[in-house]
Formats: sequence, structure tokens, C-alpha cells
Amino acid sequence: MPHDEKLIKDLEEKAKALRRHVINMINKAGMGWIGGSFSETEIITCLLFHHMKHDPKNPDWPERDRLILSKAHCCEMLYAALGEAGYFSKEHFNSYGKFGALLQAHSQTTTPGVEYSGGSLGTGLSFAVGEALVTKIDRYSGSLDSQKFNVYCILGDGECDEGQVWEAALVASHFELDNLTVIVDRNDYQSTGKVVDIMRLEPLMEKWRSFSWHVLDIDGHDMVQIMDALNEANKTRGKPTTIIAHTIKGKGVPSFEERRLHFTKITDDMYSEAMEVLR
Amino acid sequence: MSEKYLREHPGEMKMMYTGHNEALIELAEENEDVVILYADFPQDEAGKYFKNKFPHRLLNLGIAEGNMITVAGGLAAGGKIPFTHCHNIFAIGRGYNQIRQLAFDKLNVKIVLCNSGMLWSFMGASHQMIEDIASLRAVPGLTLVSPADAVEAKKTSKAVVEYDGPVAIRIAQPEVPVIYDEDYPFEIGKAVKLKEGSDLTIFSTGIMVLEALEAADLLSKEGIDARVIDMHTLKPADEIAIKEAALETGAIVTVEDSNILGGLGGIVAEVVTENVLVPLQRIGAIDRFGQTGSIDELKAEYNLTKIDIAKAAKEVVKRKKS
Repeated sequence: MPHDEKLIKDLEEKAKALRRHVINMINKAGMGWIGGSFSETEIITCLLFHHMKHDPKNPDWPERDRLILSKAHCCEMLYAALGEAGYFSKEHFNSYGKFGALLQAHSQTTTPGVEYSGGSLGTGLSFAVGEALVTKIDRYSGSLDSQKFNVYCILGDGECDEGQVWEAALVASHFELDNLTVIVDRNDYQSTGKVVDIMRLEPLMEKWRSFSWHVLDIDGHDMVQIMDALNEANKTRGKPTTIIAHTIKGKGVPSFEERRLHFTKITDDMYSEAMEVLR
Repeated sequence: MSEKYLREHPGEMKMMYTGHNEALIELAEENEDVVILYADFPQDEAGKYFKNKFPHRLLNLGIAEGNMITVAGGLAAGGKIPFTHCHNIFAIGRGYNQIRQLAFDKLNVKIVLCNSGMLWSFMGASHQMIEDIASLRAVPGLTLVSPADAVEAKKTSKAVVEYDGPVAIRIAQPEVPVIYDEDYPFEIGKAVKLKEGSDLTIFSTGIMVLEALEAADLLSKEGIDARVIDMHTLKPADEIAIKEAALETGAIVTVEDSNILGGLGGIVAEVVTENVLVPLQRIGAIDRFGQTGSIDELKAEYNLTKIDIAKAAKEVVKRKKS
């Protein structure tokens, strides 16, 4: 299917702007999860600025699509996107991680637009399953005010070590939750090193497939591939979809990519380099 | 409230779970948002009813309690009122982190802690949960209710639907005599004075309330006039009832089927210590795991009988006078 080149270009520019917001946020806060925020950038950009049905002026709109950021430590990118979309003033970026701030160190529902309070890894998918079940219950109960929405859940790859992820995966396929899509931010690194060294996940596609999910494998920085995968997920009937999005920790700034930064301070050199390449 | 809400004599033997199931069946029709969840746990009458009439509001999520509790959070965020069902030990043991998350978000989930406490015959230490009160009451924003019989269990389950927020309901496993009249007005957070008394107050909760009443009968034969209070809500605890008891009766015994460390004993001791210092003795599982056995054998082994309660009562009354 041909893609709207202007749309793709706009989304790529938006992704750049969001990365700049995150650099500023983490620079002011003194620390933050830069690597995981930059690996999920295109996924969040595509979801919030193109794919999802939502209304920043009406964050509680019952029919909105839901985005559950299960890897809630990488909330800087979610905050950047929500602020940019208009859920709250971008002024709040300046106080991320500070005492009394709207933008806490892990995303929580006290921030407009945040659907789920994370921080405890491995629980977001269960929450997303609960949200997705709401539409199923309403549809089959013939409820007059039946809600129709899709639920998207971003999981970290390291997070897939948690058993509850797989408990939730069982439930989602058992109840045929085709309104649920998981995107695994497969950046190959977790807190203390390489995923492959800490806890091998491969064959990851086969794992999800064996849990009776529809599985896609994409380049998680390629806007076209993300768009196509999300469309395919929405069209898939009778089962949930997981999109394994291969990404790079720190994507977008060469020295960040090289060092696969996880939780870090931003030095003056890093700041200058990032702002130069993200212009 | 007074003893007028008590039956003249304890009535038929009935499980608290049965009372809860009766509430769910009524709620099925009354509130279409009510959804019932099970972690492969016996569904009893409510399960059968929902399966026939509202099959899509009945979800069995398999043996994965922590997952069930977070799924319930998602359902609540979408406007449902989920009741989760599993053994107390596994709801808290496997789902503490998940319960904590619900409480943080004030999600409208009702966690039914089935088979609570020490007095669960046969299943043994792995299933006898005695840390529930201490652990849950430390969670900000969570309400914890512990009914005494099937009538109060039913009233609890009906009342929690009217309250928007996370609630845990601890119900014991055995059949117990019904002590409450059907027209007893239950209110979350409001302790019930089951018997007036001036020499001391016995605070009890859950399955041990009847034992406390029987202990008061024993005491009255010896000329000791014990007030008996059903602390059905452990959080928020009715601090006024505790302060009044301390001021008016000057001695207190607490009785529970869970660990006294942080349990009802802890609750009452905290309030008394900060307000009106009076002699106090705590009856309950004293920092010790359970074991298999009949209810009577367990009560005897863990000093949970009316005789133990009466003995403690006499002790605090003696301390008050000395």
C-alpha cells in the first residue's frame, strides 16, 4: 500500500522534536532513562500522532484508544508526546522528576493522558488485558453504552522476564482479545546488560506464537513498518497481536547508540551532540 | 447500635462465602457493571447464576492470582466493578504488589479474600493466612472489611458496590452460626456494639466474633460485665469505638484469627497507646504458622477459645484494678 510521504516525514520530524524534549527533561532533572525512551520514540510517535483515536482535550473520553506503557520508567518519551499532543502544558517538562511535579519519575495516572501507573515491571499487560476485556464484555452483554476501543501496550524486552507477562498473554489469547496489541520494544538491553546474557528470550516470536498470538516482526524505528504493523494488528480477528519492534537503545544520537545508555546523566558534551544531530 | 441486631440465639450454620454469593446474585441484576473473576476458585451459586444469565460477566482467569488482580484493575479503569475471588494467602501472597498498584490508582476493585485466617481446617500452614490484616492495612487508601457471619458477609458485599474504591473483604472458610438479624444496618467503618458492658471491652472481628460473645457469657456468670464489639471494618478502623471503650470500660481484649502483630490487636493497641492508656491483651495467632487440624483442635492449640478470651479478660480487669 502506498504511504503518504508527507505524513511519514511529519511523523519523523515529530519524533525528532520529542527526542529534543526528552533531552531537555533529563538534562534538567539530572538523570533519566534516555536509552529506553529513545528506543520507543517512533512507536509512541506513530501511536499518539497518527494511529490512535484519542482527544487530548478530553482525556477521559470513554471510547478513546488506550496506551499502556508497561515499561513505565521510560516515561520521559510518553511525557514528551503527551505534552506535545496537548494533554498538559509543555512547561511541565522543566520540572520532570522534581518534588511535587506533575511528571513523576515513573508514569502514573495523576498525569493527564497516562492510563496506567507503572513502575512495577511486568504488570502493564495484565492491566491492558483488563481494559480490552471491557469492550468484549459490553459487546456480548448487549450493553447500550457499549464501548469500542483498542488497547496498545508497550513492553520492554527485559520486562518479559517477569512471569506475569506470560500469565496475561495466556488470558489475552484465551479470551480472543483482538482489540489488544502489544509492542515489544526489543532494544536488546536491560538494566545491567545485554538481554541475551542476562536472560535469553529467543526465540521470542515463537514464544508469543505458542501463546496463540498473531506475531509481527519489524524495524521499530521505521515509521512505515510501524504503521503497517499496527494496521495489520487492528485487522486481525480472533486473537491479539504482538509486534516485536527491533530497536536501538539511545537511537538517534550516535554516541548514545554506541553506549546503549540506560539510566544516565547528560553531560554538556552529550547535550551538545544530541541537540546538533536532532536539529 | 446495640444487641437488638443480634439473633436471640445463634442461627443456622452457614458459610460466609454463601452470604457473599447471595449478594453477588442480587448485584447481578441490580448493577450491570458488576463482573466476577476467579483464579480457578470455586464459583458456587453466584458462578452458576452468572454463567446462565450473564456469562460474559464471569471470568475465570486460571491459577494466576497476581495477574487476576491487575486485570481487575484494567476492568475497573474501564468502568466495571470487578470482584476477584481466590484464597486470601494467594491474593496477598501473589498479588501484594498488584493490590498496592490498585490502591495507588484508587481503582474500584473488590478483592474477596476467601478462606482467611488460622481457622481453616485441613489445608495447613501453606493456606492459613495470618498476615493479611497487618499487610493490607499498611496500604494507603485500601479499605479492609472482615465480616462475622453470612449475613454480615452479604451486607458487606452489597455495601462495597456503593463505595467507589478498592476494598478487600476477608471471609473465613468454615460454616459458622448466623448471629445477625437480616435487618441489621451495616455501615463500612462503623463498629457494632454487640453487647454493652462496663468492666472491659472485647474487640473482635470475623469468625472470632461469636467466640467473643460466648466468652462474654462466661464472664457474666462470674460477675464480669464485658462489652463486645464487632470490628468488621479493620481499615479505616472505628477509632471512636476504641477510645470510648478505653474511657468507659478501662480494659480491653482483642480477638482475631490472624497474627496479632499488626492485626486487630495492633490496631487497637495503636489507638489506645496514643489516646487512653488502659490494660490490653491480644488474643490471636501469636507470630506462628498454622497446621492441619479440626477447627476445635486449632482453636485449642492457638489459644483462640472462649476460655482463653475469658482468661485474658479477667487478667486485664485485674490489671485495671491494681
